[in-house]
Amino acid sequence: MEILSLIGTVLNMNQFLVLMLFLTFIFMLFRGIPVAFALVGVGLLFGILGEFVLDPNAKAISQYIDFDRTRITYKKLFAISGRFFGGVIKNPVLVALPMFIFMGLMLDQSGVAQKMMKAMQALFGSLRGGLALSVMLIGIILAASTGVIGASVVLLGVMGIPTMMNQNYNKEIATGTIAASGTLGILIPPSIMLVIMSDQLAISLGDLFMGALFPGLILGGLYIVFIILYGIINPKAMPLPENREPVSMKVIMDVAVSVIPPLLLILLVLGSIFFGLATPTEASGLGAMGATLLALASRNLNFKVFKDVMRQTLNTSGYIVGIFIAASFFAFILRRYGGDEIIENLVTGASDNPYVVIGFILFIIFCLGFLLDWIEITLIIMPLMLPVVLALDLPVEGYGVVDNPSVVWFAILVAVTLQTSFLTPPVGFALFYLKGVCPPEITLGHIYRGIIPFVLVQLLGLGIVFYFPELSTWLPAIAYGN
Amino acid sequence: MPDRTLDVVEVAAKSIAISDPGDRNKEEHLWGDRLVIGVGNIVAWIFPILMVAIVIQVIIRKFGHNQAWLDDAQWWMYGFAMLTAFGYAITTESHVRVDILHQNFSKKKKARIEVFGLGWLLLPFLGIMMDVMMHYGWASWVAGEGSDSANGLHMLYLLKLSLPVLFFLGIVAAWSAMVRHVARFTEVRFWKLIIAAFPFAVFAAERIFYYASWWFVRLTNSEIQDRRISREPLLEASTYYGFGLLVVIFVVSFIIARNKNNNKEAA
Repeated sequence: MEILSLIGTVLNMNQFLVLMLFLTFIFMLFRGIPVAFALVGVGLLFGILGEFVLDPNAKAISQYIDFDRTRITYKKLFAISGRFFGGVIKNPVLVALPMFIFMGLMLDQSGVAQKMMKAMQALFGSLRGGLALSVMLIGIILAASTGVIGASVVLLGVMGIPTMMNQNYNKEIATGTIAASGTLGILIPPSIMLVIMSDQLAISLGDLFMGALFPGLILGGLYIVFIILYGIINPKAMPLPENREPVSMKVIMDVAVSVIPPLLLILLVLGSIFFGLATPTEASGLGAMGATLLALASRNLNFKVFKDVMRQTLNTSGYIVGIFIAASFFAFILRRYGGDEIIENLVTGASDNPYVVIGFILFIIFCLGFLLDWIEITLIIMPLMLPVVLALDLPVEGYGVVDNPSVVWFAILVAVTLQTSFLTPPVGFALFYLKGVCPPEITLGHIYRGIIPFVLVQLLGLGIVFYFPELSTWLPAIAYGN
Repeated sequence: MPDRTLDVVEVAAKSIAISDPGDRNKEEHLWGDRLVIGVGNIVAWIFPILMVAIVIQVIIRKFGHNQAWLDDAQWWMYGFAMLTAFGYAITTESHVRVDILHQNFSKKKKARIEVFGLGWLLLPFLGIMMDVMMHYGWASWVAGEGSDSANGLHMLYLLKLSLPVLFFLGIVAAWSAMVRHVARFTEVRFWKLIIAAFPFAVFAAERIFYYASWWFVRLTNSEIQDRRISREPLLEASTYYGFGLLVVIFVVSFIIARNKNNNKEAA
């Protein structure tokens, strides 16, 4: 009881318990318990604690310390059934999730990336840094058509690393280029991260897709500028090939032919949304069909591959939906402890200046990115931040068309910030995927050093979107204007 | 140089080859794992069907026919597939984890952590969800719930009733995965499994006792009203009776296991 009074001088009981809840969660994470299991486990533990220990003794506790009852009972848990059904099952927007996963996996099988690599190498091969540029361009084009980053990093790594090593590229720049270009997939639409974000922040998926396009392309453009500058400043890092071939008309034609199929796919998905022919969900189905046709046309698609693609789709959907279900249960318990208000007050109390508050949120997300993946951050943190952003009421131009333009802008900022979560050690998914396909002479150290400049470029891109909110609201306003 | 490029590209094409997630650790799989994988393999067909359904819908809408039932069918298929996928990913051990420390742990330690995660954290949650969704589906069935739109897919209760079944599939997946991991550090015995999944076992025993006695009262006492049954003394104290039931099961399985071991030593 003395301990309770001692805590009471600093925090009230609810604040203390919410703190313990997060600490328990983080402890479980570090033991290597899968995130979804840890979320439900912490939720259960604190649910039982609330129902059987705290609430029956609430009167005694509140003599020593401020305490609001949690009011958790087994009957109350029945409320999660409706929430689960309405949030996860009856959710037409989320239908796009497995479809985009399917599309990405199918596109990897279609071999379009390999064809582009081959053609672009011939074109840019004689340029300094040409190989890195080819990888970057393919990364940007693939980004628009796949949402699962693991796949594009592996694909680009398997294609790019051996060729770059043959040309004696610096190991850092080679791995950095691949990791950075492979992760553009989560930002450049269509991406599954934006699908989940639109669900969590209750904004239109079409707005988000259109809004992310310019920031994504700007980031890709910044990478390209960086590679060209790097080649000029440090020519030894990207040596020219020994036997150059002259660029002929045929080489240019080859590139054009190899780029057309993926561009058509992008046009099918984004174009149908932009021109209002289909909702984003329908566009996901069209995209999946388009990718299947591309794979068929390349003759890489047989029955076995088809079966494996759909089973992989099931598997990937499974772990994403696992965190979905777990995070909604966790949020339910957190709310019972008043955790959402506590966190809201904490964040809004950071400063009176709304832009500093946004900066503070982005900083927290950047830091969480060192530890967590975008799925967890989007599903656990975003719903908590939504009321904060709405309350700030930022003057972001929506051109009278975009609903909640400040939330769209915020979502894009978070998306750019989450880009970094893939690349920041110790837990950067892209880095591990990349290590898996690298030859043994490339160590994790090379990869870590290689991504530092790209993370800095990402932060520069974040700054640009931060100062020019119109970048993320202008295009959706045009697309949905009429 | 072009020749070398060709080589690399061919190598790339081969190593991107996709694999079947259900084949991972296949040789260790128990019948429960194979059941989940088998159901998953069938349900995976929903994705291409969903894709075709969406494309058809876009096309027929262009010709001015709007099919509300096709709208409903899309999220029905999606929802059913997603919940199956949840169990499938448990069996394939694909759920995301932070493995910065985990990757350096010994095999036994990894197995212990996995058993704790599955038995103490996940299984009780799945048990609660199955119980909760069972009531939810049952209420929908009693109300004969239909679609929001007049010509949508009615019989919504079919989907809702399938949810507890899919959570049960998740329980099968988690239980089998847990047994597999228990086998990595000790001999599998039923009493050990009860400890490995203790909170789940307590919950399951309580629920089984509760529903069994509910039906017992209902069938033996013809005058009682349904909603009064839960106030019967037998059901009010179901937590204690359920726990007693679990203790009995534990002791019996412990004795059987010991006898088995003694027989083995004697032989």
